[in-house]
Amino acid sequence: MADDDPGEVGDQSQPGGLATWVVLGLAVVLVLGLLSLRCALGPDAARSYPSRTLPPEPLPVLLPPPEMNDEYMPCDDCHEGEPTNPTPRELEDDHEETVLAHGDLWCLRCHDTDQRDNLRLSNGTLVDFEDSWKLCTQCHGQRLEEWKAGVHGKRTGHWWGAKEYWTCVACHDPHSPVFKPIEPKPPPVRPSSITWKPRIEPEETDREEP
Amino acid sequence: MKNPERDEQLDAKGASRRKFLRTTAAGVGAAAGVPAAAEAFDFETFFQKNFRSMSDEEIDELTDRLARKYEKKYGKPFDVQATGPVDNVVFGYGLDISRCIGCRRCVDACVQENNQSRDPEIQWIRVLEFERERVVRGFELEDGNPYYDHEQAPAEGMVYLPIACQHCEDSPCTNVCPTGATWEEPDGIVVIDYDWCIGCRYCMAACPYGARHFNWAEPNIPADEVNTNIHPLGNRPRGRGVVEKCSFCIQRVRDGRYPACHEACPVGARKFGNLLDPNSEISYLLKNKRTFVLKAELNTRPKFFYFYG
Repeated sequence: MADDDPGEVGDQSQPGGLATWVVLGLAVVLVLGLLSLRCALGPDAARSYPSRTLPPEPLPVLLPPPEMNDEYMPCDDCHEGEPTNPTPRELEDDHEETVLAHGDLWCLRCHDTDQRDNLRLSNGTLVDFEDSWKLCTQCHGQRLEEWKAGVHGKRTGHWWGAKEYWTCVACHDPHSPVFKPIEPKPPPVRPSSITWKPRIEPEETDREEP
Repeated sequence: MKNPERDEQLDAKGASRRKFLRTTAAGVGAAAGVPAAAEAFDFETFFQKNFRSMSDEEIDELTDRLARKYEKKYGKPFDVQATGPVDNVVFGYGLDISRCIGCRRCVDACVQENNQSRDPEIQWIRVLEFERERVVRGFELEDGNPYYDHEQAPAEGMVYLPIACQHCEDSPCTNVCPTGATWEEPDGIVVIDYDWCIGCRYCMAACPYGARHFNWAEPNIPADEVNTNIHPLGNRPRGRGVVEKCSFCIQRVRDGRYPACHEACPVGARKFGNLLDPNSEISYLLKNKRTFVLKAELNTRPKFFYFYG
């Protein structure tokens, strides 16, 4: 812009030109002032931080599975004494609503035939429901390695310190382990639909407001 | 000091500083100008050193001052801790984009934890939605849509990429700051001294990731939702006219805790840890997974890694 050019402004012997010079001069003073303030207080002497370490890590806690439905547990309430039919079939009665979508697994692949309140590993060892991750990882070995390393699954608490490892069933439904879609939180406001109005006093409106 | 409305306006440090200079210039020198402006700002804050130049005593004074100020504003006690970095720690973040379902739980947790303004709205994390077919050859951030509004997420054929501050090792934002108000801490966190920010927004222009956000107006946080555990370089309530951004939850991670977004993720897509620790989860995924950083061609060397789990 021509008005900002000192050469041209200097040629004009008008009051407007003088005012521009005064404003320019003040601007220079302001900039110098800011610079000197920055030199005086600026971060040239970078802070040296005191040495600080964190205490040793305690052992992690395995997060137990979520509370199971009292209506169905313990299983022996219904299954005790019942003859076992090992043939895969359409689920009925109380298990009508159980969606079984985990490969082509049938109940007794994981649940023990006789001890219904236990799970059974493929080598015949009985495990508690709380240790179900030992059962899952018989097939999902790669996931076990990654879970132990902290790359698969979820951890909460401290990155250094007490932490909980979420076990398989804390996130996945063992009968239908693929995550189901959930309702997302609302989207951000588009700049074009911002409803905010300035609530500041007129004398403060020296800056651009949206 | 007597007028609470005036006190609220003190939050806009940049504005106060400019106003002071303007008044001083108009009043031909400090003697005439300062008494008039004295009501409008706090001298201790105005002459406050840059955080990096402060002695331990000055940092204690700062935390006390902030605690008093916020207690007065929000009517409840604040715990202000200027916790320093931990030795031999450089933070890194991993995000499994094959897991992210775009539910925005992380955004919500971040807003709550870090005292982001609710109206006008500021959100440090943006979750971008991409068509799966279009990202086969990489993510073009311009194609991402942060405004998706589905009833259920993830939507069919879509992938999601949450993006916030990448905490670059060679950060363009800190290089352009004219007042030295933003810098990288020894543990790799890029922080902002909100009292030294003058609101010029050079850093926003320099940031290739759109991670920085500007307080166009006085931020608005309901007093019952404000997080009272604050760090001066992190989640302290900001004022009008300053830039803010993700600090890896500096108030949490320096005490060893996970960031808020990490804890909120329902699918465990977020990983956090010490890059210098060979046994940390972040080191494991860098060694064993396919990872990439955004806009690697700019050589900003982000410490935020995306990976395929």
